[in-house]
This record gives sequence, C-alpha cells and structure tokens, in this order.
Amino acid sequence: MRVSLNWLKECVEFDLSPEELAERLNLTGTAVEGIEYLGKDLQKVVVGQIKKIKQHPNADYLKVCSVDIRDKELQIVCGAKNMKEGDKVPVALVGAKLPSGLEIKRAIIKGVASEGMMCSESELKIGEDASGLLILDESAEVGEDLAKVLGLEDAVLELEITPNRPDCLGVIGIAREVAAIVGSELKKPKIKLKEVDRSIHQATRVDVLDGDLCPRYAARIIDDITIAPSPLWMKRRLQAAGFRAINNVVDITNYVMLETGQPLHAFDFDRLNEGRIMVRTAHLGETIVTLDGVFRQLDETTLVIADAKEPIALAGVMGGAHSEVSEGTTTILLESANFNPRSIMRTSRKLGLITESSNRFEKGLDPNGPVYAADRAAQLMQELAGGKVFKGVIDVYPKPKRVLSLTLRPQRVNDILGTNLLPKQITQILESLELKVSQLPTRNSQLEVHVPTFRTDLEQEIDLIEEVARLYGYNRIQSTLPESGGKRGGLNLNQRISLCIKDILVSCGLWEVITFSFIGPQQFDKLMLPADSALREAITLRNPLSEEQSIMRTTLLPGLLEVLRYNAHRNRYNVQIFEVGHIFHSRPGEILPHEPVMVAAALTGSWRDNEWHERAKLLDFFDAKGIIETLFDQLGIEDWHLNRTIRPFFHPGRGSEVFIKGEMVGILGEIHPHVQEAFELPNPVTIFELEEAKLVKYASLLRHFEEIPKYPGVTLDIALVVDEVISNEEVYKIIHRWGGRLLGEIHLFDLYRGGQIPRGKKSLAYSLTFRADDRTLTEDEAKKALERIIARLKKELGARIRA
Amino acid sequence: MSIREELRCLAEEAQRAISQSSSLQELNEARVKFLGRKGQLTAILKSLGKLPLSERPTVGYLANEIRETLEESIVSREKELKKELLQKKLEAEKVDITLPGKRPCVGRKHLLTQVIEEIIRIFMGLGYSVVEGPEVELDYYNFEALNTPPDHPARSLQATLYVKTAHEPKSSREEVLLRTHTSPVQIRVMERMKPPLYVVSPGRTYRRDVADPTHSPMFHQVEGFAVDKRITFGDLKGTLEVFAREMFGKDRKVRLRPHFFPFTEPSAEVDVSCIVCDGRGCRICKYSGWLEILGAGMIDPNVFNVVGYDPEKVTGFAFGMGVERIAMLKYGVNDIRLFFENDLRFLGQF
Ligand SMILES: [Zn+2]
Repeated sequence: MRVSLNWLKECVEFDLSPEELAERLNLTGTAVEGIEYLGKDLQKVVVGQIKKIKQHPNADYLKVCSVDIRDKELQIVCGAKNMKEGDKVPVALVGAKLPSGLEIKRAIIKGVASEGMMCSESELKIGEDASGLLILDESAEVGEDLAKVLGLEDAVLELEITPNRPDCLGVIGIAREVAAIVGSELKKPKIKLKEVDRSIHQATRVDVLDGDLCPRYAARIIDDITIAPSPLWMKRRLQAAGFRAINNVVDITNYVMLETGQPLHAFDFDRLNEGRIMVRTAHLGETIVTLDGVFRQLDETTLVIADAKEPIALAGVMGGAHSEVSEGTTTILLESANFNPRSIMRTSRKLGLITESSNRFEKGLDPNGPVYAADRAAQLMQELAGGKVFKGVIDVYPKPKRVLSLTLRPQRVNDILGTNLLPKQITQILESLELKVSQLPTRNSQLEVHVPTFRTDLEQEIDLIEEVARLYGYNRIQSTLPESGGKRGGLNLNQRISLCIKDILVSCGLWEVITFSFIGPQQFDKLMLPADSALREAITLRNPLSEEQSIMRTTLLPGLLEVLRYNAHRNRYNVQIFEVGHIFHSRPGEILPHEPVMVAAALTGSWRDNEWHERAKLLDFFDAKGIIETLFDQLGIEDWHLNRTIRPFFHPGRGSEVFIKGEMVGILGEIHPHVQEAFELPNPVTIFELEEAKLVKYASLLRHFEEIPKYPGVTLDIALVVDEVISNEEVYKIIHRWGGRLLGEIHLFDLYRGGQIPRGKKSLAYSLTFRADDRTLTEDEAKKALERIIARLKKELGARIRA
Repeated sequence: MSIREELRCLAEEAQRAISQSSSLQELNEARVKFLGRKGQLTAILKSLGKLPLSERPTVGYLANEIRETLEESIVSREKELKKELLQKKLEAEKVDITLPGKRPCVGRKHLLTQVIEEIIRIFMGLGYSVVEGPEVELDYYNFEALNTPPDHPARSLQATLYVKTAHEPKSSREEVLLRTHTSPVQIRVMERMKPPLYVVSPGRTYRRDVADPTHSPMFHQVEGFAVDKRITFGDLKGTLEVFAREMFGKDRKVRLRPHFFPFTEPSAEVDVSCIVCDGRGCRICKYSGWLEILGAGMIDPNVFNVVGYDPEKVTGFAFGMGVERIAMLKYGVNDIRLFFENDLRFLGQF
C-alpha cells in the first residue's frame, strides 16, 4: 500500500523525516519497501502568469506569450489554445528536465526566441490531460515552485501490509500505528454532515438474504450530484496512492477507502430496478457485465448485490456496468458493507478478478467500520459534488460484533520475551494502540484487555504479547542463548556416512550436481524403458508447471544425463558428475511415497583433454567401477560383487548389478548407444546408481590396525593364455584358493589379445606376492607355491603358461 | 736408461694421461695402458727379476709407490669426471618451468551443499541435531498443523504443487503435496519426540513458481527450532546473532523486524548489515544497508497444542532460511537458475 506523508500528517502529528519514519515503521512490523519523492521531476518548473498573448509572425498555429515568473518576464512561444491573458500556468524554465526526459533549452521557434515552455498536465506527468495547458488556480503564487503549489512536495511510502493487519490498509490505520510509535494522538477526520429532511427510508430499502456472507450492509443516498473532475488535491492524493482520478463521485469512494480501509461502492440510483437493494447469492444462469466490460456467468456460490430484478454488482469485488456512475448521474446509492472474507476470496479466485476491494475484504475487515466510512464519503460528496444527503443511514447489522476481552499475564509476557517489563509499561504500550487495559481485581496483577473490533488479528494472549514486543522494540530485548542448549547434537552415524559418501566421490574427481526432483515422462522414452517398466510408475503432479516437470523422478539417471547434454551443448564433453538425492515410489496402502536416497554418477569423455604430457583417454566402465571400488573400500564395505544384467538403457554387454553380501544395492554400466544418442552425447557414458541406505547398512567406519609385514616378500609374475570366455574372477579365485597361506597380493598387470595369442584366446598376466609372517621367504618356497597354482590353472581352466 | 728413470718417466707420462683424460673411457684406457695386467707398469715390474737382488726392494718399493699414486689420481680424476658428467646431464635436463602443471582430477561439492554444510556446522556447534523429513508431504504437516487457514493463498493450486492420489482425499488435510517449506519437520519431530529439542532440518522445498532469476520451482531451506523449558525471544535473538556472524562475518550487525507468519508469534524477519556495502547502501541491499536472510519467531501455542505439548510448560522458537538466497548473497550469484543448470563453468567457481 502507498501512503502519502502529507495525507498521513493530517491524521497524526510527527516530526520525522520520511527516512526516519520508514525506519520506525520497519522496526515495528510495517515493512517499508520504498520511499518515492514526488515532485523531484518538477525542479525548475514554476508558476507563471500570462501577461500578453500575441500571434506568432511566421506561424498561424503558434502564439508568442509574455509570462511573468515574479523576478522577470519571459517570452515563450506556445502552440496551445486554451489560455488567456491573466491565466496562471506551469512554466518549465530553461534547464528544467521534464519527467519525459525533455530538457528545456533556449530556442528560436520559426524565427522567434523562446525562453522556456508552458506545460500541460500530461507533459508534467501529473495527470492525463494533454488537450491544453494546465490552468492553475488563481490563488497560486507567481514564481512559486509548481511542486509546492500542487502539493507535490510529498513523499510516498510503499508499505508491505502483512495479511493479519487489514486495519492498516488505510491511512487512518497507519496513522494509528504511527501515533503508537511516536506517542502522539490519532486525529481521525471529524464528520461534518448536513442531512436534508428527506429520509433514506422513504427512498429505498435493503434486504440482506444471506447474513452469513454479508454481516453488515450500510447505505446512504445522495442526490443533486454534479459529476465533475475532482479537485487537484484529491487527484494528487489518489495519484500518489497509485489510483487514477475518474470523477468526483468515484474518486471520493476510492479516497475514503484509502483513508479508512473500508471499500465503498456508488450505484447510479436511478438505474436500480424498483430502487432497492437485495444482497443474495446469484441464481443459476444469472449474468452480469462488470465495470471492466467483461460478461460474467454467475453461480449459486457467488454473493451479489441485486436490485429487484437482477445482479448489479459482484459483492465486494466489482460493480456492474449498468449501474455505473456516469456523467448524467444525479442520485447515488452509496454502499458501505462488510462481507465474509472467504466468500469474497472464493468469488475473486473463481472469476480471476482481484480488485482493491476484494483484496481488502478477503483479509477480513472490521464490521464496525462501514458507517463511519459512509458518513465520511457522504460528507465529501456534499462538499465536492454539491450533493444533498438524505437523512439517515440504512444499516442492516443484525449481529453486531462485540469487543473482545482477553486476559494478559505480565509474567507470561516476560517469560516469552525474556524481558522484565512492569505491568505499567505493558499497559502503556497496549493503550497506545487503543486497547483498553484494566487490572483484574481477583488475580494478582493479571490484566484484562479489551480489543477494539478493528484489530481482528488479536484473539489470544500471545497476540497481545507480540504487540508488546514489537512496540517495545525487538532491538531492546536482551540477546541470550538457551540456558540448557549445547548438551546434545551432532550427526548420527547414518548422517556421517552420508556425508562421507559425498566426500569420497568428490575426492575421486566427481563434481556434485543438483537437479530437479521432477522430470517429464518423455525422459523414460529416452531411456528406452518399456511401457511396463517399474521405473515408469511415478508419482504424478496434479498441477505441474509443465510436462517436463510433471512427475517425481524414480531414478536420478535422466537428471544426470540432462546435465551431460546441457554441458555438451556448451562444448564441454569431459564431464564427471554425481548427485545424491531422493527418488519417489508409491507404497501400497500408504498415502505418502517411499523416498529412498540414491547416489548416482555419470562419467563421459576423459578426465582431461589432450595434454602436452599425455593423450586424452576416453573413460569407460572400469573408470566407474574403480570409483565404486574406492567408495566401498573407504566405507569399509566388503564382500561385494557385480552380476551381469540386461537393462534397456545399458549397453547389452556392459551392464551390471552391484551386490553387497548378496543384496542388490544398485547398478553400474555403460549406457546404450541409442540412449547416448537420445541425450545428444558424442561420447559413451558410464553411470552407476546406488541406494544410500544400503551402503550405510553395510558400511563401517570402524578400522582395526593390521600388523605391517616385517619380512620382505617374493614377487613372481605369471602370464596365462586362456579362452576368451574365462573371466578374470575365475582365474583370480583359483589363484587365491591354491596360493595358500603364503600368498599375499594378486595384481593383474596385463591383458592382451592378438599377436601370438590365438583367436578366441587372451593373455592375462598377474604378479603374485608371497610372504611369510615369521621369516624371510626363499625364492624356492615361493616358486613351489606358484607351481601349485599353475598346475590348478592348467587343470581347471586349460590355461597355457606363457614363457 | 736405468729402470728407476724408466719408472719415473712412466709415472710422469701416466700422470699426464690421467689428468688430461676428458672422459671416463679415456681414463679407463689410461689405466689399462699403465696399470693393467698387460700395462706398462706391470711390464716394468715383470722385468724386476733382471735387477740385482740388492736393488730389487727399493725399485719394487718405488714401483708400488707409483702404482698407488696413480691409482689415487685415477680415483680422484674419476670423481671429477663423474661430477662433470652429472653436471652436464643435469644441465641437459633443465625444464621449462612455465609449462602447465599436471593437475590431479578432483571434484567439488555443489555450492548449495557447501552452504548447507556450513549452516549445519554452525548449529551443531550450538548443540543442534539434524533431522530430515519427507519432500512429498501431507497438507496436514505442511499447512494445517502450522496454523495456516484453509483459504490461505499459499494453499492454492497456483502456489503449491499437489500430487495425484489414488483415492480422493477425504479432507483438505489429507491432500498430498510437495512441501513448500521445511517447517513440517517441526511437527513431525515434536509428534515423535519430547523436549528438550534442538534441531536443524535441511532439505528440498517446492513452490509452483515459474523459473526466473529470483524464482525456482525447487529450492532449499534449512529449518531450525528449539523447544525447552524457558526458551525466550531473547534466546532466539542471541542464537540468530551467533549464526549470522558465523555465516557472514563477525562484524555483521543483525536486526530483527516484526513480521507475520502463521505458526510463530511473535514473528520476525532477520536482516544482516549488507555484506557488499557494509551498511552504507548499495544496489544489492536496495540502498537500505540491510539484507534479509531469514524468518523466525516464537512457536505459536496453537502449534504446541496440535502436537500435545503444554504451552505453559515449554516454549520454543523456530526459524527458516532459504539456502539459495544465502548463497546468492554470500557469493554474489545473480540468478537462482544457475544452481540447477549445473553448468561446469558455474560449478567450477566454488
Ligand atoms: Zn548494500
């Protein structure tokens, strides 16, 4: 909400600069989002009086004027037609910079010198009238700054009003806050109303058929109205608040709303069928054309204001076009009502129509506010539109809202805030907000607090404590730390392991990424998942922002592959990344899904580009497997292996499942060339995805010291030629089993095909280290052990030993 | 020439050859020539038999002396030559030290993870534990138990992402949604555990916001809360001041401004003095000198009633902060979308 300081000053006295006031408001809960200084665009624009108007010698459409600006007379060439000698007009002096950016310079116009510019409203951006010069009031003093004359020497505070404070949606509400802050008095505008003899009750009647949706409906009738533009001061204030001036009647309803926070509506009374009002829900099939010219179909949940025949307004949201105040209007019915906030919210949402009025009503307004606002508006119509106000107010208010009475314990205030406030201080603060406080006679020092009805937000003791806190000042409350804090805390084992996993992957050279938890179903097509794949059974969003963000991910792979694609499009082809995040699966019989955390990585390209010392080498399955080996090693995970698997998104010969102690914990493999293509990736990609909880289950951060070998070992190499189908694991197992107690490390150092190796065969070379705990092993002993191994390899695998 | 003279000449010649040898090979040749089995000194010694018996010892002695001297010379010359050789070798091995180094490949954690870990580290130091909650959440935990009225705009289909459920929810509290903040963890923890509680809860959160430089449909928050006997608003202030100074630097000023949240009362927004301009006013702080970093407040008694705590016996505070916002402020990141695009050129900067 935008509040003019000049306006505010009419309602409360304070001696603060705009910045100081903003600071005080900020620190008491009314956030100031900005300060706008009006009139700062009107420097060097002054009031001038036209002394003489002559025809331009060289142009029919131009005049040459002599303009008095107090200390001298200027000659100004002008194209406007609406001025006469003696008129006072705005004059932009040489050097002035108008809001449009136009800089005024000395000029020769068709051979005649011109020393400035006389301006229209629109040229000064203080109004929309561009038809001619702005003719100022006769009282304007010649030579004075225009900004001062027009009341534009003002600052506007842009306030953020929190939804719990609808009472602050008007200047009076803000003034009440300011009064409490600075310790002065609120000066609400006094109503001075002269009613004519004719009674409103003779002219109209109001029937409220739905008292729940409309707790109060007040109306006044004003006739003999002359529709005209509003006076400048009112236009200025509306403009400062961000409103367009329309005509005096409409402007007054807006003005009073801005002042009191109570929305008002003026109906052209002569347009009402039978001249009466009914507040009811719409009948099925009823329609209305609203003020914005939109034809709207209504249903039975919509509260409308109707005349005897049909809806004439959407209650609390927007008036109808038919009964709109127009130039010919002479009599108006002024509505000042209170509507049920939820009903207004529903209507506003359903119709997609948010107005100043609906915005206020849906926050819940004081039902005791409407009559004051109606009287205030009637007074202004009498003063500014020549209206005659009928005697009396129609006020349908069957269940008046009573003042709420709350108990407040001063000790509780101090317990919550950590303060030592005295009951007297607390009382003072609350009274500054117009709350009435009295000491309860029965209990020791308990206070009874009467809450005025405009403070709809104060319902419980804690609400009052907040009022005390914010006006006392958060900055005055002593900072402390909880008495008993710091006794517990830290991470549990699972959390520590989880942190460890990221640390290890990072040390392996992987970069962590974070991708959206929602994906699109087309990602599953890119992964070539069949229609019945379990991965396709995803949690679906009801109102997604887009198809691409419409389901919750069941695997981290698409997100990672998308990151590879994103970077490849930016010419980054060497990408090694991981993500740790939730996936989502529905659980039978449960409302909420299962959200396991997955640890997934993707590797593509090479670790680095060609270097001066090393050629780039494309990463493959074994680079990814190496990272898993390192990860498991560091986590103390033992007894794990890979099983070959076929997955639609894996290369058929390069996919595997990861097992720890016989339990499947995830997958590792190179993605299928088609998938690679679908994600527009130039190089093969290897991925793994592991379930974190299972890693945690088998991980152990405990370590036991193992004796470092005291005696040197003997290392012997063997190279075997075996059938292609024989796996490293098979060879390894035989070596391990037959190596006996002396066998230490087994290290595969060469894998070779071709050359002297027959087709269908391959050569594997291992170096084996033999060692004894209690002595230095002799070469002969080691060789003997090796012989045993070789014999078994020959027998069991048909291996041939290469020289 | 007498044999003595012969020996002396030989010694001189050999000495010259040794000192003039310019390589180990030449030196070796000299040794073979003079001291080898078929060398000249050996030849002379072999002819010793021809000498009268009386002369033999002195000449033999002289010959041995010469041999020893020459051998010493050879050793020292060898040392010199080796040293020269090494010198040359090392000179030839000179590298261009301006060539780029061979870097090990290391990755890094995402900036948001770094910030979350930093926040958690600070609160662990204050005795907090870490508890996480589900991202797909019930309306009850996300809104209702947190005192959010049924028609609150945050609950609308425009603001919150809802999940399709197998059965029509019986009431709005059974609606399933992507949590819009980490605050539901408060309720879940309080339902399960008894005070005292000192908990922080990081995690992903979601809102139905179209991505732009300051909005993202997914973002991260860290929630924190303390429930205990005699927790005060002063404790909240003190705790957040400790946090802000640890996070943004010890010279930061901290201020709390009254604000409104449905589930805390009194509530506050918390500012630190601008880390860019140090409070003087700049574009980042919109010339206010302050940066808003989090929302906080005393836990509303209604929330305690919901979880079955007696608000007369325990009090508590809660706070919540946007991780992206803190990262953006602290590291000057100007577009929230960068966090989720995962451009390596972005990730590599932190
Ligand atoms: Zn700044």
